[in-house]
Amino acid sequence: MAELKLLFENAGDPAFQTLEGYKAKGGYRALDKAVMMDRQAIIDEVKKSGLRGRGGAGFPTWIKWNGLPKEKTKPHYILCNADEGEPGTFKDKQIMEETPFLLIEGMTLAGIACQGDAGFIYIRGEFIDAAKALRKAIDEAYAAGYLGKNIRGSGVDFDLYIHLGAGSYECGEESALMSSLMGERGMPRLKFPHAPLPTVAGLWDRPTLINNVETYSCVPFILNKGGEWYATLGAATKNSRGTKIFSVSGHVAKPGNYEIEFGTTLMELLELSGGMTGGKLKACVPGGSSVPIMTAAMCDGAIIGYEEMMQAGSMVGSGGCMFLNEKTCIVQFIWRTAMFYALESCGKCTPCREGTKWMLQILERIVRGNGQPGDKELLLDITTQIDGRSFCGLGDAAAWPVAGAIKAFPEEFDFYIANGKSIVNSPLPMVPA
Amino acid sequence: MSELIQLGANRPKVPKPEDLKLQFSDTAIAELEALLTHYPDRKSGILPGLWIAQREYGGYLSPEAIAEVAFRLDRSYAEVEGVATFYSMYNTAHKVGKHLIEVCTCLTCQVCGAYPVAEYLTQKLGVGFGETTSDGVFTLHEVECLNACDRAPLVQVGDQYYGPVDEKSLDALLEQLRQSDTNTVIQMADSIVQVHLADFEKPGGKKVESAKAPPPAATTPASPSRVRIRVEETS
Ligand SMILES: Cc1cc2nc3c(=O)[nH]c(=O)nc-3n(C[C@H](O)[C@H](O)[C@H](O)COP(=O)(O)O)c2cc1C
Ligand code: SF4
Ligand code: FES
Repeated sequence: MAELKLLFENAGDPAFQTLEGYKAKGGYRALDKAVMMDRQAIIDEVKKSGLRGRGGAGFPTWIKWNGLPKEKTKPHYILCNADEGEPGTFKDKQIMEETPFLLIEGMTLAGIACQGDAGFIYIRGEFIDAAKALRKAIDEAYAAGYLGKNIRGSGVDFDLYIHLGAGSYECGEESALMSSLMGERGMPRLKFPHAPLPTVAGLWDRPTLINNVETYSCVPFILNKGGEWYATLGAATKNSRGTKIFSVSGHVAKPGNYEIEFGTTLMELLELSGGMTGGKLKACVPGGSSVPIMTAAMCDGAIIGYEEMMQAGSMVGSGGCMFLNEKTCIVQFIWRTAMFYALESCGKCTPCREGTKWMLQILERIVRGNGQPGDKELLLDITTQIDGRSFCGLGDAAAWPVAGAIKAFPEEFDFYIANGKSIVNSPLPMVPA
Repeated sequence: MSELIQLGANRPKVPKPEDLKLQFSDTAIAELEALLTHYPDRKSGILPGLWIAQREYGGYLSPEAIAEVAFRLDRSYAEVEGVATFYSMYNTAHKVGKHLIEVCTCLTCQVCGAYPVAEYLTQKLGVGFGETTSDGVFTLHEVECLNACDRAPLVQVGDQYYGPVDEKSLDALLEQLRQSDTNTVIQMADSIVQVHLADFEKPGGKKVESAKAPPPAATTPASPSRVRIRVEETS
C-alpha cells in the first residue's frame, strides 16, 4: 500500500504556506460552509467521520466537541496541544511548519462549532521554526479577516494566540498543559470524576476544548468532503478512520513522516520508509516511547489501527515509530527510555517520582555490568506499583516500556545480568563511556 | 572543612523589593503589556514574562531577573522562582555561555550515535555537560528528545536544529559559532518573545481588529502606575 496524503498532500510546497496558495488548493472552503451551518450539524459531521484524537489516546473527537455547554455563560476556549514531546514523534512539527493553515482553519471551525471566543496554540519552546511559520500564517489570516472580529462577515469573533512552553515533557499532558499556560509549574490537575471535565472547567475554570495539532488539521477535510466520505478511509479496521501520520525513525533508510490510511500494515510502513539499514529488523516501538516494544515476530502481520495494534501487543499512540535493527541492545535502549521518564517525572506523586528513579537505578546497574539475580523480577514488580497508581498518564507511560521489554526480550535481560555484558555487540556505543 | 559548614553560603540572594533595580527596556515593557492582553489574568504572563527577562538579562534568569518579573506581574518572588526552576529552557541554575549546545541523547539519537557525538564535543571543548568553556563561549547541555528524530543524531543551538551531525559538521558548526557576533542564547529568547506577538501588536504594526472582548479584562487590575513609579524611583 502506498501513502495516502490528505494533510500532507501539499506539504513542502511554499505556496501552501501562504493564504492565497492555501485558498487556491481549496483552503477555507470548509469555513465558508461552516458559517452557514448549524453548530450541531458541524459536530455531527465530525461524529460521522469517526475521527479519534491523534495525540495518543485515540479518544473520539466529537464527544469532546459535544461536551462544551450549549448554553453559554462564560467564555469558551479552543486549545491546541502542540507540545509534541513524545520521543520518536515529529509530525506536529511538520504540520505547523508546512501546512499551518490547516491547523488554523481546523481550530477556527472548532471555535464556530463550540462557541469559542479565543484559541491558544501551546507549542513546546524548542519548536521555534514551527511557531514562526504559524505566526506568519496567523498574521495573514488576521489581515484578510479570517481571524479576529466578525470573521468573513459571519458575525463570529475568534482570536488565536500562540503560547510557547519552556522545556517539559509533562506539559503535553492536557491538564499539566493548562497549568503551564496559566503560569504555573507544569503539573497535572485532578481529573474527572473527582473534578469537572475540561470541557466544563478547563483554562481559567472556563469550558475548554483541547485537541492535538493533527486532530484539528483533519477537520477541514471532514467538513469539505463530508464525514461519511472521511469514514470510508480506514474502513477495513475495526474502529479507526481516516489517515494517520507516522514519524518513522531509527535504523531505516528514509526516516521521515509518512501519512497512511488506517489498515496499512506495520511492514508496509517499514517498506515506505526505505527498509532497514545495518541489519535485519529486531524490534519496533510503533507509537512513541510510551508504548510497549514489539519483537519482529509481533510486527509481522500487525495492522495499523487503534484496536488492531492493541491486539498485536502495542499501541498506535502518537505515531512515533522507531525501527531497531538486530545490533541494538534492548537493555541499553530501555535504560535510556527509563532515564527519559525519570528526568521528566514532574514529582507530584510518589509512585512515579520514586518509581521511575528506582527503575533507572536498577537498569543503570545492569547496564554497568553490576546486575543482580532477581533484578528483572524486581523491575517488573516496580512497574506494577507505578502503572495505574500514578496521578497522571506519565507514570503508566514510564512503566509500560520497561514491562513490555522484559516480556518481549527476557533472554536479553537474563544474559546481561548473568554475564555483566550485552548479548549483542552494537557497532555504536549506546551508553556513555 | 569550615567552608563546608557555612550553610546557605551559596544561596541565591533574593533582592528586597526596595533594592530592585528594574532593567526591562521600554520595548520589553511594551511587549509584556501587549502579551498580557491575551490572558484574563496577570499570572498567565509568567512564562512569557520569563522569556522576556531571559533576553533582557543576557540569557540568564538571575534572582534579580525573576524579581523583576514577579514585580511587574504582581506575583510573589517565590511563586515566579518556583515556575522558572521547573522548566529546563530557563537558565536559572547557572549563567550559560554565548552559545548553548544542547545534545539530544534520547532514544533515536542514542541508537544513531548520539553518545559518540557527545563524547566528541566534550573532548573538543574540554568541558562536560552543564559546564562552560573558560572563554565563556560554549556551554554544553544534554537534552531529551527534541522531536526531530528523523535527523538523529541532533543538536540544538539557539533557535536552530542541526542534524544529522558528525565530527566534520560539528567542527564546521563550532567554527561558525566562534566567528559569529550573535549571542544565540539571547537570540533564542528574543525569537520566542516575537512569535507570541501578532503583527498588529508590534510597534508600528498595521492595525487589524481583533475580537479581544472575552478573554475579558484582567481580573487583577493591571498596575502600570506602580511600575512607572518604581522606574522613576530607580532611574
Ligand atoms: C505524559 C503525557 C504526555 C503527553 N504529551 C502529549 C503531546 O505532546 N501532544 C499531544 O497532543 N498529546 C499529548 N498527550 C495526550 C494529551 O493528554 C491529550 O490526550 C491530547 O492532547 C488530547 O488530544 P486528542 O484528543 O486530539 O488526541 C500526553 C499525555 C500524557 C499522559
Ligand atoms: S505520574 Fe505523578 S509524578 Fe509522574 S508526571 Fe504524573 S503527576 Fe507527575
Ligand atoms: S531522540 Fe533525539 S530528536 Fe528525538
